[in-house]
Amino acid sequence: MNEKKINILIVDDENGLRLGAQRLLQDEGYEVETAENGETGINLGTSKNFDVAVIDLKMPDVDGLDVLKEIKSKYPNTICFIATAFASYDTAIQSTRLGAFGYIPKPFTPEELIYQIELGVKQRELIIESDRLKKEREENLLEIAYEKSRLNTIIKSISDGVLVINRVGEVVYFNYAALKFLNICELKIGDAAILKLPEKILNLITKIFAAETILLKTFTTQIELLPNNELVIEAACTPVPHPDGNIAGVVIVISNITQFKQIEQIKSQFVSMVAHELKTPLAAVQGFLNIMLDDTIPLDKEKEKDYLARSVIRLNGLKDLVNDLLDISKIELKAKQREIEEIHIQDIIHNTIQLLELELKKKNISIDTTIEQDLPIIKADQNEITRMITNLLSNAIKYNKENGKIFIDALTKKNYVSIRIKDTGIGMKPEETSELFNEFYRAKNEKTRGISGTGLGLTIVKRIVDSYHGKVEVESEYNNGTTFIINLPINNN
Amino acid sequence: MIEKKFKKILLVDDDIDLLEQNKLLLESRGFTIVTAESGEDGFKVFQKEKPDAAIIDLIMEQMDSGFVLSYKIKKTEHGKKIPVFILTSATYETGFKFSASSAEEKEWIKCDGILNKPVVVEELIAKLENYNPVACK
Repeated sequence: MNEKKINILIVDDENGLRLGAQRLLQDEGYEVETAENGETGINLGTSKNFDVAVIDLKMPDVDGLDVLKEIKSKYPNTICFIATAFASYDTAIQSTRLGAFGYIPKPFTPEELIYQIELGVKQRELIIESDRLKKEREENLLEIAYEKSRLNTIIKSISDGVLVINRVGEVVYFNYAALKFLNICELKIGDAAILKLPEKILNLITKIFAAETILLKTFTTQIELLPNNELVIEAACTPVPHPDGNIAGVVIVISNITQFKQIEQIKSQFVSMVAHELKTPLAAVQGFLNIMLDDTIPLDKEKEKDYLARSVIRLNGLKDLVNDLLDISKIELKAKQREIEEIHIQDIIHNTIQLLELELKKKNISIDTTIEQDLPIIKADQNEITRMITNLLSNAIKYNKENGKIFIDALTKKNYVSIRIKDTGIGMKPEETSELFNEFYRAKNEKTRGISGTGLGLTIVKRIVDSYHGKVEVESEYNNGTTFIINLPINNN
Repeated sequence: MIEKKFKKILLVDDDIDLLEQNKLLLESRGFTIVTAESGEDGFKVFQKEKPDAAIIDLIMEQMDSGFVLSYKIKKTEHGKKIPVFILTSATYETGFKFSASSAEEKEWIKCDGILNKPVVVEELIAKLENYNPVACK
């Protein structure tokens, strides 16, 4: 407004006064336009937004109050003065009612006019500034409302439950996930939290409110909503500080940690089983040593040697078990950092047969391999595939009969390389087959007695195959042999 | 040690090493030992030998072979009169939660107690000596 010149309109039928005022105000630096009658005054005053208008009350054609009314209805912020020699109390009130800012009695001195105009200009500036602020405030409010509804939408749509309570324990905000997790059918803003929330969460809230200073940390509790880890939630309660230094309330975020708990449970079960499997051979070795140290038990040299040899066997079993366990953890790590290369299944099969030649000879088992011409190359970690074939082949030897046979086929089946290892061994009962890939499961019957193993060999096979998105199948007939079929995808990366 | 209430003890375990060790230890303390390597054989030996006590490994063919054998023994006339203990390394420490100590568990598990592996012979003998058939079903 300071850079732009201030516009003033003067409406007066008296030529001398009109032109005199124009000159005077132009000298003061104002931009001045004039109208010599009421009609021109209305036309000019409603054609653009004048800052100030000085209107003569009595004009031959149109009354000054009408001019005022017209201008005000078009531009309510134009500051209008009524100038008149017939000043009366009534017209003053009437013109003020119509929106005039001031009243200039005629005749007036230049100082009087300039003083009044300056007042008007100031008022105009105030009005424009206040308008601007009002508009700005409205825009801000709109933005806040938008932001609020956006936040609302976000919080309502997240899968975690959110619930906020104020310092007197009333619910002030919640989303539907919170209701779902807490199994609350009906909740209103303003409801008392104590009537609705589980005790464990209330305990945390009580603790937060009871603290002397605000505890700027989150307190969590886990609640088992369905038994056996079928549904477990974690509630995280965080105090919200108020600018006055007190607690404004508590935000409770509820998340579903069922999957995490289930994995935790599987892991701890596995650890329990490992501990049990490690304890058994240790107990056997310890038992032999204790007997040899026991003076009350007479042992001849031969018996002592037998016990030492049996201890060594148990320790070897223990060592195998530890190696298998390390392999399992390696597979888990390797899923991230394995060495993928192009591998030839037929080479791995031949190498493995060579490696196990001694065991084959011991039981006089013959091997028959049928490998498809131009078997596709697959991309995999050489060590893992070797381990997989070794475990299956050594099982085929271990659970085979004396003078038995092993058939190994490798062929293309659609998008898979299919490897079949079939033995003529002791086979399995259907209930044994179904548990075969479970950790530490070993079929125990009169035929398997005396065959050692860690119970992890097939677990390792399955984990390797799974990690390549392959499939492992088993067919078995009790007393008649077992066939393992491994399908590995050809186009894997 | 001279006047033994329990002369003949049946040991059942599919781990032949542990079976032999326990046999030697108990024999050295003056007991007569009969053995079996499976639950099924265990019952046959029990019926044939009529032992004064039975100590049975828990996990043999199945996770609960020991319980099954103990149940079968306790259902016989002779079995009701003798102490039957289950032997296992599956304990609280290794995450298996049974102890046959609560009334409910005793209702289900027809044995007179659970012993941890490896067995301490003195402990085992003390348990046998303290056995009071009246307190048992």
